[in-house]
Amino acid sequence: MIVYLLKRLAVLLASVAAAGVAVFAFMAVLPGDPAEIALGVNATPEAVAELRARFGTDRPPVTQFLDWFGGLAHGDFGTSYVTSSPIGPQIADRLGVTVVLVLGGMVVALLVAVPAGTFAAVHHRDPLGAAISAASQVGIAIPAFLAGILLVFVFAVKAQALPSGGYVPIADDPAEWLRSLLLPWLSLGLVQGAVLTRYVRSAVLDVMREDYLRTARAKGRGRMGALWRHGLRNASIPVVTVLGLQLATLLIGAVVVERVFVIPGLGDLLLNGVAGRDLLLVQGVVMVLVAAVLLINFVVDVCYAVLDPRLRGAR
Amino acid sequence: MLTVEGLSVRADDLELVREVSFGIGPGERVGLIGESGSGKSLTALALMGLLPDGVTASGTARLGGRDLVGVPERRLKDLRGRTVSMVFQEPMTALNPLMRVGAQVAEVMTLHGVAAGRARERAAELLGRVRLPDPERIARSYPHQLSGGQRQRVMLAIALANEPDLLICDEPTTALDVTVQKQMLELIAEVAPALLFITHDLAVVASLCERVLVMYGGRVVESGPLREVFKHPRHRYTEGLLAASRLAPRGTRLATIPGAVPAAGRFPGGCVFRDRCAHATETCATAPALTDPDLTGPEPRGDGHAFACWHPRR
Repeated sequence: MIVYLLKRLAVLLASVAAAGVAVFAFMAVLPGDPAEIALGVNATPEAVAELRARFGTDRPPVTQFLDWFGGLAHGDFGTSYVTSSPIGPQIADRLGVTVVLVLGGMVVALLVAVPAGTFAAVHHRDPLGAAISAASQVGIAIPAFLAGILLVFVFAVKAQALPSGGYVPIADDPAEWLRSLLLPWLSLGLVQGAVLTRYVRSAVLDVMREDYLRTARAKGRGRMGALWRHGLRNASIPVVTVLGLQLATLLIGAVVVERVFVIPGLGDLLLNGVAGRDLLLVQGVVMVLVAAVLLINFVVDVCYAVLDPRLRGAR
Repeated sequence: MLTVEGLSVRADDLELVREVSFGIGPGERVGLIGESGSGKSLTALALMGLLPDGVTASGTARLGGRDLVGVPERRLKDLRGRTVSMVFQEPMTALNPLMRVGAQVAEVMTLHGVAAGRARERAAELLGRVRLPDPERIARSYPHQLSGGQRQRVMLAIALANEPDLLICDEPTTALDVTVQKQMLELIAEVAPALLFITHDLAVVASLCERVLVMYGGRVVESGPLREVFKHPRHRYTEGLLAASRLAPRGTRLATIPGAVPAAGRFPGGCVFRDRCAHATETCATAPALTDPDLTGPEPRGDGHAFACWHPRR
């Protein structure tokens, strides 16, 4: 177990380093010199050179990279060329909002998918089970932002029950915070829940055909008892794989949903950065998103080891 | 003790097992033999109430005064694992891969009212009883850490845990190495209460059972004491089966039964074996009943050797 975890951790660190190189290199080859952007077209070459020296962009790329990447380790993302404010605190601020948004969406997805998928599998011969499969198919076809707009129309415009957008920090008013996040959670979670329902259904169906479920029934367990005691954990292994992929999708989906609901998350920050040509800010946000996806993969690997003893003893 | 009468198994309009009747006395070991697809396993699953979805059983089967067929699942599951137990063919997949072996043995006892602590102690005892070395360590292992033979012993320990009246074994040694097979058979012979043993291996039946039922096409075509049936088979199918299992002298062709077992529902009407039988005549278009001619003859002997054939071997 320990060896397995150390290996996964090593893979995680190596991937983050490689991702850092890739993100930095990608931003470096983009046209546009921060100093020229800051000073405009009429700047004298001397002024540009002076600003470059101040930004540190006149140094060799390798030095710049090491400086930037080394800073990341203790939360220093550098100082914005555009606003001259440190980037780290901004990202930290927004990251919290996005994480809450994504995890809430995932919880909604799980609350939908686990019961619906299990029910559809157990009743796969009945019309109701088939209806759930069909409904999840429709859900898959709807993009999150469209679901968001529809939800706003129904709950905010028609029913006037929930705010159509905006965000209230939890410290200001917990009830309003919850109300402001409900629609974003639903619009992210329902769509992912529809996708997940199909995976849960097929995982449970596979497990239902396993010999050890028949063994459990031969011991005197009922159909559902056998599925609950012996099926659920076995079925969760393929579902965890999909969950990991979906969390990554949600993280990216949040960028769009934050726009729809005017939520000050990472996605919002990223789009502001792009619009303001704030290269270092964009670089930082992208790096955080990439690292988050890699971290999710690591957590998935850890989950495998916790769930499956066959992996624990493994090499 | 176990009496089965007119047991039929159907899937939609297909009759997979037809009118099977037999009995097993206390402590008796009965073999159920026949080629793959003859309905042996379905018969066993019907007795366990574990038929797959869409497959149903009719007829009666009583074990110690309790009905096994046509009873609601709620009452059946009280009997399963307590009064009647089953060991399956494939030991590699029959155990939950994510659960320790000891817990899987203990589960069958806690399900039928044994306290958790006591069940855990008993689980280790049972693993010792099926002659697994170092039962305490085995109890803490996961299935993937055990060999096929060891896993089948675990399955046997589970089956025996609540001291059932009847043990059903469905080809429990088919997936095992020959040497392991022999040990397993000796163990089953030693520990089984009454036994219904399903196999297509005649040598296994000969070493283990006192009485034998021969199935073909979902019917019992011959039944009787093992010696009697093996020495003087009357049904032409049994005759072919025994000939095919005999060692042929070097240089001669192996005896076979011509043709192959038809798919379910494709058996001929009348005698189900008639399309593969060299002795079949027009009479065989009518289904022969399973009868014991000794009982109807002038001097009934009553050894229970019955067969369903119009042209039996003399």
